Amino acid sequence: MTDADVTMDLHPMPAAGQARDWAFPAPERGGLPTGLPVLRCQRPGQQLVAVEICLDAPLDAEPDGLDGIATIMVRALAQGTAQHSAEEFAAELERCGATLQASADFLGARVSLEVPASRLHRALGLLTEALAEPAFATTEIERLVGNRLDAIPIELANPGQRAAIQLAHELFPESARMSRPRQGTAETVARIDAAAVRAFYEAQLRPVTATAVVVGDLSEIDLDAMLAGTLGRWATETGAPALVPPVTARDDGRVVIVDRPGAVQTQMLIGRLGPDRHDPVWPALVLGTYCLGGTLTSRLDRVLREEKGYTYGVRAGTQVLHSPAPDDGIGEALLAISGSVDTASTSPALDDLRTVLRTLAADGLTDAERDMAVQNLVLVAPLRYETAAPVADTLADQVQQHLPDDFQAQLYGRLGETSTAEATAAVVTAWPENRMITILVGDAAQIRGPVEDLGIGPVSVVAA
Amino acid sequence: MGNPAVNRTGAAGQTATEHRLANGLRLVLSEDHLTPVAAVCIWYDVGSRHEIAGRTGLAHLFEHLMFQGSAQVKGNGHFELVQGAGGSLNGTTSFERTNYFETMPAHQLELALWLEADRMGTLLAALDDESLDNQRDVVKNERRQRYDNVPYGTAFERLIALAYPEGHPYHHTPIGSMADLDAATLADARAFFRANYAPNNAVLAIVGDIDPRQTLEWADKYFGSIPAHDGKMPLRNAELPDIIGTEIRQVIRENVPARALMAAYRLPEDGTRECDAADLAVTVLGNGMSSRLYNRLVRHDRTAIAADFGLMRLAGAPSLGWMDVKASGGTGVPQIEAAVNEELARFSADGPSPEELERAQAQLEREWLDRFSTVAGRADELCRYSVLFGDPQLAFSAMSRVLDITAAEVKAVAAARLRPDNRAVLVYEPTGSPEPAAAGQDGARQ
Repeated sequence: MTDADVTMDLHPMPAAGQARDWAFPAPERGGLPTGLPVLRCQRPGQQLVAVEICLDAPLDAEPDGLDGIATIMVRALAQGTAQHSAEEFAAELERCGATLQASADFLGARVSLEVPASRLHRALGLLTEALAEPAFATTEIERLVGNRLDAIPIELANPGQRAAIQLAHELFPESARMSRPRQGTAETVARIDAAAVRAFYEAQLRPVTATAVVVGDLSEIDLDAMLAGTLGRWATETGAPALVPPVTARDDGRVVIVDRPGAVQTQMLIGRLGPDRHDPVWPALVLGTYCLGGTLTSRLDRVLREEKGYTYGVRAGTQVLHSPAPDDGIGEALLAISGSVDTASTSPALDDLRTVLRTLAADGLTDAERDMAVQNLVLVAPLRYETAAPVADTLADQVQQHLPDDFQAQLYGRLGETSTAEATAAVVTAWPENRMITILVGDAAQIRGPVEDLGIGPVSVVAA
Repeated sequence: MGNPAVNRTGAAGQTATEHRLANGLRLVLSEDHLTPVAAVCIWYDVGSRHEIAGRTGLAHLFEHLMFQGSAQVKGNGHFELVQGAGGSLNGTTSFERTNYFETMPAHQLELALWLEADRMGTLLAALDDESLDNQRDVVKNERRQRYDNVPYGTAFERLIALAYPEGHPYHHTPIGSMADLDAATLADARAFFRANYAPNNAVLAIVGDIDPRQTLEWADKYFGSIPAHDGKMPLRNAELPDIIGTEIRQVIRENVPARALMAAYRLPEDGTRECDAADLAVTVLGNGMSSRLYNRLVRHDRTAIAADFGLMRLAGAPSLGWMDVKASGGTGVPQIEAAVNEELARFSADGPSPEELERAQAQLEREWLDRFSTVAGRADELCRYSVLFGDPQLAFSAMSRVLDITAAEVKAVAAARLRPDNRAVLVYEPTGSPEPAAAGQDGARQ
């Protein structure tokens, strides 16, 4: 430092002011006469209202050989109804200034609506049509199937998505739905037709096994009357919820290279199976995972990015895959470390990554690291939940994972009660350095030898 | 006049006050006590358009260096302190500006101001070759990850280079070239800071659960003693004819998964009614699932898997309309292009229907509500209108201006600009792909 570089008055770092109270919003739980549970949450000033419909159509409920039908079915809900053609339906939604997204996953399917509060009524009417009287016209299903078949090669060309598909294949037994792509393969998608979509819809979609979540500024809305006239018209016979089997995963340390000759980077994805949110270890795992790879000042990026410059960023995270009600056994989450490194740095980056894990196992987290993680994760909540959509999303996650409605609200207190030793134990248990499956999407001719030399398990190569 | 979703007298009651410190730093404050958070956003009036030949990517590389410490903030301290306080932060670089933002729990606002002031005033005290070399490698990996290692990743860079001629300040994108990133020196970085990172070349917006008087005092305390300085190089001339004049065309043979037809159109500059009209035109044509191109190519012809048309607003040069169509199955580009040309010609001749205009305005209004629903989004918009147009208050009326546009104006801008002689076309042909099917939507799929 030279004096010439400091020409301003320097002041000491200021202390924090008085923190203002904030709590994760508590939803009000109710229901419609049709059996549809409704969670609502008033968020003053939030003019964009978020609606989440949780549907009991998990991927494990898909008929054999028709992987991808859950995705096609939920997307087809918005492709024409008894009252509107597909084109008219899209136009009506957009006239409301609304967006409607539909997706299907291992925990169930979701339809997400976002719309200005002044047009919520109209949009809920359209949403109800989609749920209660979808047309599933042959031409529209053919189009969605064709669209999906076109999308598959595009997804496989994306290194991140290609890595995720390979990891699922390596991690889970072939018999498990989880071992196969969420949206199906070209072979399974090509078999899907309108009759199968309707049959799947009739088997899975019922108000009693669904939940509606409505979040936003509802102060000028008579939501009960609005719901009675819209979602309240969706009625079916009752039925039992889908049963999703528990899953097991391999954890023999090994490396699979998905060969992409000439790739300038290697996409790394390292995965293992861990517990779901019901497990008492969850807050410790959240803290430990943050310290390992939550941000660019976490242990992985401190070395791989900020010291070595190997990457734009490496992250560690968790994704719940199976989360039964507490009486129905235990659930599982995918634990993953992912990032891209330049091709020449592939082996050095993996080596450093393992050194980070080894050091963590040997020395543990520091109290300062743990404190920083707690402060970030807890204090960032008002910001993270400033708008309606993330609140609705978290409430819907809780529903689909069979968690209590105050799970997130309670989690903040539990994070604060978690010790450094507990966080260390959770993350070290999650990431034993010799029991990880590593997927590398990159140029095998360049990276295979150096990766084999690391001695982190057998290395195999598959075609892209 | 559109049919607004919200009563917009003063944009739902939102207001902002403007202030200027003696050193020229402009401040914009806006109170909102709904949630105990406060956004700090600072725009420096420097972007990739200010870079010179041989040093592309310097503005963005420099943005990374702003997180590497300053006189009182060691190493990654900026990130650690903000995140430890429960804030979120980042910076981004575009053609026209560089922005930095921290969104904090309201009781940590003062910390964010102290941090921004420390690096505005004293970055050079900490900047060294080690951090430059490290962040150069990080940025090169960012470039590989986001552009070079993904299919179609360099399409935007190619379209920009075609639509804005060689030597034009917008001819290159903010990420820069690998060669120029390699060439950047510590002396370049220091000179760049001295030229551009001055209080009189920045706007600071603070939005949220704040006490304006206290906030002004803090701003003056931390930023007030940073000396103003003028070392900025004059912007190179960015004037261009409204129309390119002839269709430019580039065919890329690459290992991509599907054929693609992309095009960049020169459109009116931001800040004009014509730009708002162009936004509505491209929205009707290619934004959402009821747009003309989606209905024609994806629903009816089934020749495309996706058909999008978007607007990148630029204030200092013509804006860019970016069309992106990915072909379905074995459909050839000529078949798609003929349909696109037909749709654009029809739209230019007839303009939008009343229903189409209403839908487009409703969609743009939702996007605007989305940006304005967070304190960070509002702070960024206030900075934008201050830096690019000299008046932050324009942020609050931006949506009414879009809702005020008529169908005749949309038609006029489409007729004037969405013409074949005003576009740069980029065609992707996958290497090793078979010849396109002769005709018909089912050519490739059995």
